[in-house]
Amino acid sequence: MSRVIGIDLGTTNSCVTVIENGQPTVIPNAGGYRTTPSMFAISHDGKRLVGHLAKRQAITNSRNTVYASKRLIGRRFDSAEVQKAIDLCPFEIVRGANDDPRIKIAGKTFTCPEIAGIILREMKRVAEEYIGEPVSEAVITVPAYFNDTQRQSTKDAGKIAGLEVLRIINEPTAAAMAYGATNRSEEKIAIYDLGGGTFDISVLDMSDGVIEVLATAGNTFLGGEDFDRRIVMHLLERFQEEESIDLRTDPMALQRLKDAAEKAKCDLSSRESTEVSLPFISSDDSGPRHLQLELDRGTLESLVDDLVQGTVKTVEACVQDAGLTPGDVDRVILVGGQTRMPLIQKTAGEFFGKGPHKGVNPDEVVAIGAAMQAEALVSDDKDLLLLDVTPLSLGIATAGGHFAKLIERNTTVPVRKTHIFTTTRDNQTAVKIRVLQGESDVAADNDLLGEFVLSGIRPAPQGGPEIDVCFDIDANGIVSVSATDLSTGKEQSITVNATGTLSQDEIQKIIEEHELYEVELKA
Amino acid sequence: MAAGGGAGAIGARTPRLASDCDLEGLDLSPAEGFLLSRIDGHTPQALLRQVGGLPPDEVDRCIERWAESGLLVFVSSGPPARSGEGDSGFGEASASAARAPVAIDPQLEISAEAQQAALAMDAGLERPYHEILGVEPDADVRTIKRAYFGLSKEFHPDRYFRRDIGPYADVVERVFRRIVEAYELLSDPATRAEVQRDLAAAAQAPPEPQPEPPLETPAEEPAAEISRPRKRRTGPRPFSPLTRAFAQRRAKAKSFFEAGMAAYAEGRWLEAAGSVRLAIAFDPRNAVYKSRFVDVRQKVADVRFEQLTKEADSAMTFRDRGDALKLYEEALHYKPFDPQVNHTAARLAWLVADDPRRAKEYAVRACEVEPEQPEYRKTLGMIYKAAGLKANARRELQCALRLNPKDDEARAELKSL
Repeated sequence: MSRVIGIDLGTTNSCVTVIENGQPTVIPNAGGYRTTPSMFAISHDGKRLVGHLAKRQAITNSRNTVYASKRLIGRRFDSAEVQKAIDLCPFEIVRGANDDPRIKIAGKTFTCPEIAGIILREMKRVAEEYIGEPVSEAVITVPAYFNDTQRQSTKDAGKIAGLEVLRIINEPTAAAMAYGATNRSEEKIAIYDLGGGTFDISVLDMSDGVIEVLATAGNTFLGGEDFDRRIVMHLLERFQEEESIDLRTDPMALQRLKDAAEKAKCDLSSRESTEVSLPFISSDDSGPRHLQLELDRGTLESLVDDLVQGTVKTVEACVQDAGLTPGDVDRVILVGGQTRMPLIQKTAGEFFGKGPHKGVNPDEVVAIGAAMQAEALVSDDKDLLLLDVTPLSLGIATAGGHFAKLIERNTTVPVRKTHIFTTTRDNQTAVKIRVLQGESDVAADNDLLGEFVLSGIRPAPQGGPEIDVCFDIDANGIVSVSATDLSTGKEQSITVNATGTLSQDEIQKIIEEHELYEVELKA
Repeated sequence: MAAGGGAGAIGARTPRLASDCDLEGLDLSPAEGFLLSRIDGHTPQALLRQVGGLPPDEVDRCIERWAESGLLVFVSSGPPARSGEGDSGFGEASASAARAPVAIDPQLEISAEAQQAALAMDAGLERPYHEILGVEPDADVRTIKRAYFGLSKEFHPDRYFRRDIGPYADVVERVFRRIVEAYELLSDPATRAEVQRDLAAAAQAPPEPQPEPPLETPAEEPAAEISRPRKRRTGPRPFSPLTRAFAQRRAKAKSFFEAGMAAYAEGRWLEAAGSVRLAIAFDPRNAVYKSRFVDVRQKVADVRFEQLTKEADSAMTFRDRGDALKLYEEALHYKPFDPQVNHTAARLAWLVADDPRRAKEYAVRACEVEPEQPEYRKTLGMIYKAAGLKANARRELQCALRLNPKDDEARAELKSL
């Protein structure tokens, strides 16, 4: 049997893990790094670069270097998040055929699953070089708050990378699995996961290898990158005050500032103050200008305090959703590089009334958990079991623009729920079933996963016909919806293939294209 | 389930009533009658110890005695465990519909023990929630959670991820859903109070369709009677215990059948098949159930066929074609004479599995169903050719050419013979 791997496909960095003799091993890439930047670039001479190579040339080639594309995957072009990204990213984001955001670099347009696929392919390659044999199956993690479209798109990315995705699991859940594999006592734990681009909180109950997700919540548009951006803005303002030069229009300067901001942020996790020094950042008539500033921890904390407080609100809601109080939580585990920040450790510690658990590496624990889930699925040793939940409520749009939830969020999967609906007009012969995901009572505020029409309803006064709508989520999280006219037995159903994601044909085309490209590289 | 205990082997075996058993001459206490009514060919002895309403060792002793007297036999863990029972109704292996007769099958990647455990749980899904979890009605949340975790380890579908467990995939998933339901209702104090109210109400006023006391109630009462067997003789006995047990089983069968027909009317074929199957299990002699089951099974077969071919089609585009072949072959179980699927299976068996004999069978069948289809003829001809049967190959290829004279490939193949 070939080996299965776990991949943490992060906003800024990705990590791959395999289980060897029952122990998880984080696989270093060729450069010896245990995580690989989730970056992709096309260099000036047309070469495709991934990971550290892409990152290294990002400063001089910022328009053709893609980073943080995970923030765009599975979203609609018109969504606020994508529009925000368009303002901030140095690379071009264009509208795709399915109203999805696509990334245009070096004259070529890529879909987001394609970019993610390129990064996954790199991680697959890293694993194959280490293991010494082909790898074809993986568990990939996503933020807990990813909706179905974002999950499907990530799955598509796996296919594009030549991986069969055994399961998509949530990042905090993966972290809990890694923890639960070695800590088998009966505990309630909270996973506070602040990564490069997303924030997740999950509360879980575990005992002897069984892990039950009690509740999960998060924000897919808040992460370490936002912290960096606050620092960049701060540096920009200070530089403008001192030198009267606006660096906002200079992509190369921006990229340097971004790198410096990230570095300063990391420094301030262990030190009280740090120096930001960027010589020759700009120039004017009087010659070259340098940026040289002192940044202390207090300043950083005041810059990002509202972001950190924002996470506390989400944590509060999640703990309440789980039917617990902060004191009921036995252990708090911090995941994601951003949680190295002392302010976050302090804030989480204060909220739960206990210091965070120190035993895990916040950059690697998610990938380790992913590999453990992969292993638990395919191996005969069924010692670890994850009782996963749906992250968002599911239902259909009803008359008047309302949202009728059929499956509440945090319901354990697999699950099936049915409900009877009826017509709103006399002699109505067809109904449109619009499948939505989200928490708002207003249909339009939720994500549309798919829609279909049930026709051939026998003419009757309004409210007469009975239409049975059944939602089914299987253990793999695949949603299928069927509607049946109870009087005629006529049935229509869909397996939700979310709108905005790629069709099977498109994926196939991309796979073939990339296969061609691989040939090109070797030649 | 906390199955087995010390006497694991005995606990794992599953008794059922012998088809020719003579119930007339028996003299049983109500408690024994109740135990007998629990014996349905699904429930293993370990579970009977818990739900039989008698102390566990008493259960073992009764079963031993009845087995010796020929009243009971044990369901063997060999293949068609139930073929002797339902005769014409549902024993045929040929068209085993998705949710329909599930027998112990050692070929599957699920142990016979686990199969029995799953069937036992499946047969008991209508029990009160706390019984499903195997806890006391007043168990605390922690105990409930532990029971839930334990059962999850056994019945979560992930346990059989990618394993070929045939019809047990549905059984396990159904059981797991119910376990979750039980856990969710009992672990929340509000819903739990409701469940307990319902239970108490059911114990006081038996529901309409069942003239006899509901199945759950006799648990404590007969235990008291056992200790003073003499007294029993003095009172009038409206039912002999067995008549009562069978009446209960028939009532239960009827309610399953009605549920099945309701599901059928609403097009939920799988559910209908499951319910009707249960009805037959509880009342094997009812001809109406059996005849309706044929219809229902056909519907299920249609649905399964459609699902499988759809899966196979997507396997063709995505995964390896070996998978697709397996799926098409499974689909053919449900509709053995679909010409198109036979044709595709033939091509895959020949080109992917490199099994010309199997390929030939499928191709021949496709041609039998649609003799005028040149593609089918050509495929059959090419398969014959690959197998070295030149005369047959020539005949089929000529036939293909006659039906479609423009087929250059067939012409070339014929020429190269």
